[in-house]
Amino acid sequence: MSDDYSDDEYYYDEDEDMMDADDGDSAPSDEEMDMEVFDNDFKLPGKARKKSYEVDSEPLSQAQVERLMQTDIEHISGIFGVDENVASLLLRHMSWNKERLIEKYMDHATAVSVEAGITPKEEKPAKAAASSRAGSSSTGPQRSTRSSKSSNKLKSPSPAPKEDEPYTCPICFDDTQTRTMALACGHAFCSSCWNAYVTGKIREEGEHWIRCMAEGCGLVCPDPFVREALGEDKATWNRFRELLVRHFVGCNKNLKFCPYPNCTYTVACPAAASKSALLSIVPTVTCGASPDHKFCFGCSIETDHRPVICAIAAMWLQKCHDDSETANWIKSNTKECTKCQSTIEKNGGCNHMTCKKCKHEFCWVCMGPWSEHGTAWYSCNRYDEKASQEARDAQSKSRASLERYLHYYNRWANHEQSAKLSMDLYKKTEQKMEEMQISSDLTWIEVQFMKKAVDEVFKCRMTLKWTYAMAYYLDRGNPKELFEDNQRDLEKAVEDLSELLEQPIEPEVVPSLRQKVTDKTVYVQKRNEIMLEDTANGFLEGRWQWNTSVPGLE
Amino acid sequence: MDARLRRVNKEIADCKNDKSSKIQLDLVDESPFHLKGSFPGPEGTPYEGGRFEVDIRIPDSYPFQPLKMKFITKVYHPNVSSASGAICLDILKDQWSPVLTLKSTLISLQSLLCSPEPDDPQDAEVAKHYMTSRSSFEETARYWTHIYAGGPDPKAKDGGSGGGSRDEVAMAGLEKAHVDQFEALGFERGKVIDVLRRLNYRGANVTKITEDRVVEELLKP
Repeated sequence: MSDDYSDDEYYYDEDEDMMDADDGDSAPSDEEMDMEVFDNDFKLPGKARKKSYEVDSEPLSQAQVERLMQTDIEHISGIFGVDENVASLLLRHMSWNKERLIEKYMDHATAVSVEAGITPKEEKPAKAAASSRAGSSSTGPQRSTRSSKSSNKLKSPSPAPKEDEPYTCPICFDDTQTRTMALACGHAFCSSCWNAYVTGKIREEGEHWIRCMAEGCGLVCPDPFVREALGEDKATWNRFRELLVRHFVGCNKNLKFCPYPNCTYTVACPAAASKSALLSIVPTVTCGASPDHKFCFGCSIETDHRPVICAIAAMWLQKCHDDSETANWIKSNTKECTKCQSTIEKNGGCNHMTCKKCKHEFCWVCMGPWSEHGTAWYSCNRYDEKASQEARDAQSKSRASLERYLHYYNRWANHEQSAKLSMDLYKKTEQKMEEMQISSDLTWIEVQFMKKAVDEVFKCRMTLKWTYAMAYYLDRGNPKELFEDNQRDLEKAVEDLSELLEQPIEPEVVPSLRQKVTDKTVYVQKRNEIMLEDTANGFLEGRWQWNTSVPGLE
Repeated sequence: MDARLRRVNKEIADCKNDKSSKIQLDLVDESPFHLKGSFPGPEGTPYEGGRFEVDIRIPDSYPFQPLKMKFITKVYHPNVSSASGAICLDILKDQWSPVLTLKSTLISLQSLLCSPEPDDPQDAEVAKHYMTSRSSFEETARYWTHIYAGGPDPKAKDGGSGGGSRDEVAMAGLEKAHVDQFEALGFERGKVIDVLRRLNYRGANVTKITEDRVVEELLKP
């Protein structure tokens, strides 16, 4: 990328421009094209090379994440020489932090096993530690099973030996049940109770860490046990697996679960895993399930807040949330005291103002000190006096900062509003396209240029919106001026295209309109790319200077 | 038969047969899933001599979900809401185990009365009272036991009979002299009790809270 930021260089120097233009011309007449891949059409040349505003990310299906988990499990299982189910429990207990697990397990294998719910706690004869709150008298019968089984192996659990003698489950008191199950602790309960318990934990509580049903027993059900307890209930088993995956993803900084409802995809984006990385990149990623599942890997503020980084987007939204309406009102209804800068609302009465806070007396009309008005206050003829001039200077300073904020806010909000309206335009466009198919002899594929153009306008308006948030915080200087040049070019291009789209469509003008719209769309897209790319490069180079302290920077 | 119903029936029957624990279970209406349990206040505590009633609801997924319990009888205790009777006890939440029963849970409640846990309070005002002045707290708890749970009259020892009239000052665990003092300034008695209770105007705190502070609170609408 050249070091020169003038747009001429950008626009004409690159070979891709030519290709893009070619592509744009021929695109509508291209053969069979799927709608899904359609908007990639314009980008085709760029695909070969990674853009600086794009981040490397990889969508992962649930099965792929499970494979990652399996690798970790096998690794741990190999090192410790334990069963894979045991390794899985150990890892889950340690939030999938392998290093910490290895370190801890090497030092205190038994203690870690107990904490992870793999081996039962050493039975203390007097049970002195048992809390007095837990009434233990009624749970006596179950306790006996625990002490009778003393040899507990660190092994995947098997159902308790089937006894021929009549068995009464201590939970449901059913004596007709013959099948019982127990974890390594030996607390046996009938399989239908286990089923109800495990199902409830998974379905209602969304829990993957399922403890033994016995009171105070810390053992946790390993996966095969859960599966056995669930029996034929495939749906709940799948939910359990999803919970495991979610836990794994939640523990891993490189991974994020797709936030769209019912989506089971995960996105891996190691580039954006650390907080410091988020200060130089905007990790907008897409999950593998659908191209619509776009989200920011770094924050949950908005799905796509390019080109500004998460911290600044958050700051801006916070400011808007706090200020915008209030600021508007303050601007139109108040003035500041010339001495202490308190904001004052004049709600009636004469122009002789006394500041409630500092008791400064001044004239509301000229903002000069009241003392100089003498008896001639009514006509307020002191407009050019030095004192009132100074007072106005002080006021205009604080007023200016408000004006400045409102300048950016209004443009930011306007683009958001326009982007929303362009969704309405979308519907109208669709109708138009249908009409055109009927009224002219154009084919479906040939009228798609309208749809693409609307898509592009929407995308660019989102970019523009956030450039205003960025510009608000940018410090004055050459970089900002270049930024604003890019912003202006993009804005102008977008407005031109928007206007074209609003024009009435007559069959006769369709060919020329199509040409114009397609050309303009390509140009707008190019401008958007320049905007995004230059901003992203600026972040990577540390070119941007801020007029405020950005959390995390410096 | 429905496993839940079978289990609940057995638990109720077990409780009837067991006379030693003095725990009682009664049906509230026709449903066996809405019960009223009661137990005597533990000996050697301010709750001794009272009988405490608990509203019990058995959830659909019982015994895999914990019982829903709250005190019907008003109890002055850090882990029980003095207004609603809601109970803060781990086994009624995440530490529930399906092997726990109606009886064992009621026994747990009984032992909760023996050993309050003011660090994990349900009623912050009561917990503060407990932490500042144990003896004053116990006096109030005893008074509540007398008034609400049919316990012995704490004043009976002194010869004077309470006469059944409720002493609002004692109910709030405050000193009569303090209430009189602020009432004499012209504030309504109910308001004074309310403010002093909220400020925890008891024991060593009395010296820490200035009169101005109390008056300031009293003047708030």
